[in-house]
Amino acid sequence: MSLSLKIAVMGAALVPASVAAAASDPWAGVPKAQRPAPGTPDLSGVWAMPAPIRVLKTADGQDPPLLPAAKTAYEKNRAALKADPKSDPSSNCWMQGVPRLVYAPYPVLIAQEKDRVNLVYETNHTFRIISLRPGLPKEGPDLDPQWLGYSAGRWEGKTLVIDSLGFNDKTWLDYSGLPHGEKLKVQERYTLKGPDRIEGAVTITDPDTFSRPWTTTFTLVKKPGYELKESVCVRDHKM
Amino acid sequence: MTRSLIWATTTLMALSFAAAAAAQAPKPGTPAPEARDSLGAGADRQLARRKSWEPMPPPSDPRDFTGIWEVPNPKIDLKQDDGKDPPFKPDEAKSTQRMIDAEKAGNVITDASTQCFPHGVPRLTFAPYPIRFVHAPGKILMLHEVGHNVRVIYMDKKTPPKGTPMSFLGYAVGHWDGNTLVVETTHLNERTRLDMHTSHGPKLKVTERWTKQKTAQGYTDLVDVITVDDPDHFERPFSVTRRFAFRGDLEATEGAEGVTEYSCEENNRNVPSADGIVTTEVKGASR
Repeated sequence: MSLSLKIAVMGAALVPASVAAAASDPWAGVPKAQRPAPGTPDLSGVWAMPAPIRVLKTADGQDPPLLPAAKTAYEKNRAALKADPKSDPSSNCWMQGVPRLVYAPYPVLIAQEKDRVNLVYETNHTFRIISLRPGLPKEGPDLDPQWLGYSAGRWEGKTLVIDSLGFNDKTWLDYSGLPHGEKLKVQERYTLKGPDRIEGAVTITDPDTFSRPWTTTFTLVKKPGYELKESVCVRDHKM
Repeated sequence: MTRSLIWATTTLMALSFAAAAAAQAPKPGTPAPEARDSLGAGADRQLARRKSWEPMPPPSDPRDFTGIWEVPNPKIDLKQDDGKDPPFKPDEAKSTQRMIDAEKAGNVITDASTQCFPHGVPRLTFAPYPIRFVHAPGKILMLHEVGHNVRVIYMDKKTPPKGTPMSFLGYAVGHWDGNTLVVETTHLNERTRLDMHTSHGPKLKVTERWTKQKTAQGYTDLVDVITVDDPDHFERPFSVTRRFAFRGDLEATEGAEGVTEYSCEENNRNVPSADGIVTTEVKGASR
């Protein structure tokens, strides 16, 4: 658990379940112009995975379809991680990339708006602002790679779909060292199944790393009344 | 593009902001904030700039702060509206002066933010980067570009929960007073400074009053009147004001909704001494 060692969780107090009276309108207090359209699934609130997923597998439990060179790189990462947990790029407190941030064993606050979905991760106070308007940048050498890439979202029926691209290659896809390159494209799908459960799927496409696109799945459960703690990861700090 | 290069210059920018602030401190008798706008003096010359910032106006609802706001004339200082220094207690006056002197001697002053920790409050509000306001059920979020700082303002609570720990950004509860968002922040740890020079203690309470205000030219500012109350460092509470311009133009930023990725951790090279001073001396270099 190198991450948990590196991260100083500043707020350790357990917060009692919200004592706020159950308002008849869950959107009370939110400006009308910003509320999601009626009928939009309500993902608002704090969510977490019921159990950490440290090694990504395909939806049917197989190993990801790594190309030979990527397989060698993966073995190297795993050996390095075994020898020294600090070889994990997250030890540098860099942003963890996508989907690894989604798989971090800390909660996420989802704040929905008409035009955006904001994902605020407890992990090192990292956030993603996902536009629901069309506008994913064009991939290619002109796009400056970012830690969390560039994202655009949309509702596909009752499923929130987020497409991302333009990542740098300094992050791992999971905690076990699964590599990727800059051609990585990620599609996340969030489907509300009942008020307290989201079924998620992540499809990973990276022709330099995998022989074909592949999909992995996860579950998020709601944590009613939970408030995000201040989590701070700073490398070699002297304060 | 990540903002690491910009970050690298933040500390030096802070130096020049401080110098600029000293030169431009408003004289006593300056009109009340209502008569000014976020561009301050010389606003006429900057109207074109302002026009480009508001390709579309912000929401008309005075209680809807949704969107991106940025302080056009950043000043990382604690000058009150009349230009006066805060009412320091003697020890704090000495401590603040020591930091100012160290800076004048050519040293780079650091604080929590320059080491990639969250900035603290109100230090974060002074930072020259965009802030996105998000209204959510029971809370208002302030998503800061700088160092991906996140402030959560709990609108469904009157006081922090029992046992709330101290933290860099504290615990913030909010309520509406008319069309003014009142945010009270406490539980701020002592590892941050209020600006680049002035310290605070555990009793710090920061009250912000955020109000949308039309400028004389019809643009919209978000005005934050910040009251600092820390009886261990100041003789009495005092207020500073910051005015933010609406930056609708930044929403066009592809894939980021106007908040560019900012990875402080990519450039974390200036390690301060125990008292927060980084010397700029480079071994073997001639200056």
